[in-house]
Amino acid sequence: MMHVDTYAYANRIRAVDPAHKAILAVLRRVLSLVLDRPATGLLAALWAAGLALGWAGLPGRAFARVVLAETTFIVLGVVGVAISVAGAPPAVAVWYGRVGPWYLSFSSGSLYLAARLAARALGGAAALSFLAMSTPMTDLINLLRRLHLPELLLDLMTVSYRYIFVLLESMQRMVVAQESRSGYSSLRCSMRSAAQVGTLLFLESWQRSRRLDTALESRGGADHLRVLPREYLSDRRSYVFGAAILASMILVRLLL
Amino acid sequence: MTVELELRSVTYHYPGQSQPALKDVTLGTSGGRRIALLGRNGSGKSTLLLACNGIVRPQSGGVYLDCRPVAYDHASLCRLRRTVGVVFQNPDDQLFSASVAEDISFGPLNLGLSDGEARDRVATAAELCEITHLLDKPTHALSGGEKTRVALAGVLAMDVEILIADEALAGLDPWMRHQVMEIFDKLSAQGKTIVLATHDIGLARAWADTVVLMEGGTVCAVQPAAVFFANPGLVARINPFDL
Repeated sequence: MMHVDTYAYANRIRAVDPAHKAILAVLRRVLSLVLDRPATGLLAALWAAGLALGWAGLPGRAFARVVLAETTFIVLGVVGVAISVAGAPPAVAVWYGRVGPWYLSFSSGSLYLAARLAARALGGAAALSFLAMSTPMTDLINLLRRLHLPELLLDLMTVSYRYIFVLLESMQRMVVAQESRSGYSSLRCSMRSAAQVGTLLFLESWQRSRRLDTALESRGGADHLRVLPREYLSDRRSYVFGAAILASMILVRLLL
Repeated sequence: MTVELELRSVTYHYPGQSQPALKDVTLGTSGGRRIALLGRNGSGKSTLLLACNGIVRPQSGGVYLDCRPVAYDHASLCRLRRTVGVVFQNPDDQLFSASVAEDISFGPLNLGLSDGEARDRVATAAELCEITHLLDKPTHALSGGEKTRVALAGVLAMDVEILIADEALAGLDPWMRHQVMEIFDKLSAQGKTIVLATHDIGLARAWADTVVLMEGGTVCAVQPAAVFFANPGLVARINPFDL
């Protein structure tokens, strides 16, 4: 998460209007869902990689690591779709094997369905990874504010995001303090120490929320967390990319 | 502009506490002063500072701004906070926004300034605190010293006349303390009053023109720094090593 956040602040399109980046990401996600072919899903993922590396200037390895993590979850998720389990040998199967009393098999139909699902999910996940790695959370919250989401929800998102990092620091300090007193020397100790960290973090969150409330009040904060909206750049290339994504994905859907 | 802030016979009890955090405190300040607020832990320093900013509402006595009592309604609190700003010890308790510029803009916008005016205030405060290069950075990526300066800028953007720093220098390295003190000096030269709650006797001796000593929720001494530090008995009450 920290890496994703770091890249979100340090990429070539940091200053580009988050609406442009979000539209490109949502377009790819929607097209990969609607067009629903393995090739369109893969094309959406390729577009995400191309934009992330070519437009945003993200390091290929960093983007690949994020997408690989998502791919692992997707593959684990579609295994159940590809493989059938039955008490008798399947009538039609590309392959089957016996594990105890059960027969595991996969057919061309189930493989195709799994591939379709995986490609569709990968296309959507890669599109959102591009957005997450090129757009800081603060810009996304600003975008949601422009979309008139309830202020209370946005305030909660702002404070939650900010305090994730504060509490992570606190947690690291607590763990180091416990480790220095052999807090993780055995499984039993580790479990007890982890539980203590959880409790202390809860208390710390509560105390911090009270101190934050005081600090906000001292600066005149009464209802909502009003801050200046950031000024963004409009990049015409995003329109070109949008048109190209739309055309290429429809074309692939028609051809394959 | 010289602003007078006064606390008259202020008493405050935290709920559930038997002893008052502030007991009949009377204190006042006017423009351009450098006040060191000294006292042991639990002596009531932080509560006093919160009372100055209107966060703590005295159960008896009152806070007066330019001889007018603070009524604790929206308008008078706005006026008080436009005049008195607080920087807290831990900047992580103060910085709520993910971006430095956004966080600094919070105070000015709460004062009812337009976006353009708030943007100017952010730029001016950032320049004063030498954090212009940090404006686009996420707050969680800042060092401790940078966070302190951003927290300071967040208060200075409200163009306060009295700046209260509640142990805001604690935990900073000497260089970072020096940078923050330089900002205080600039503000002092502009005629603003700085109130610094600190345990650092050396700093108070070198920097302050007035010392306020608190003990058990009461103000024991308000003296020019030279007079205070010439009295070993008073100094020993907060620092036994100075005996």
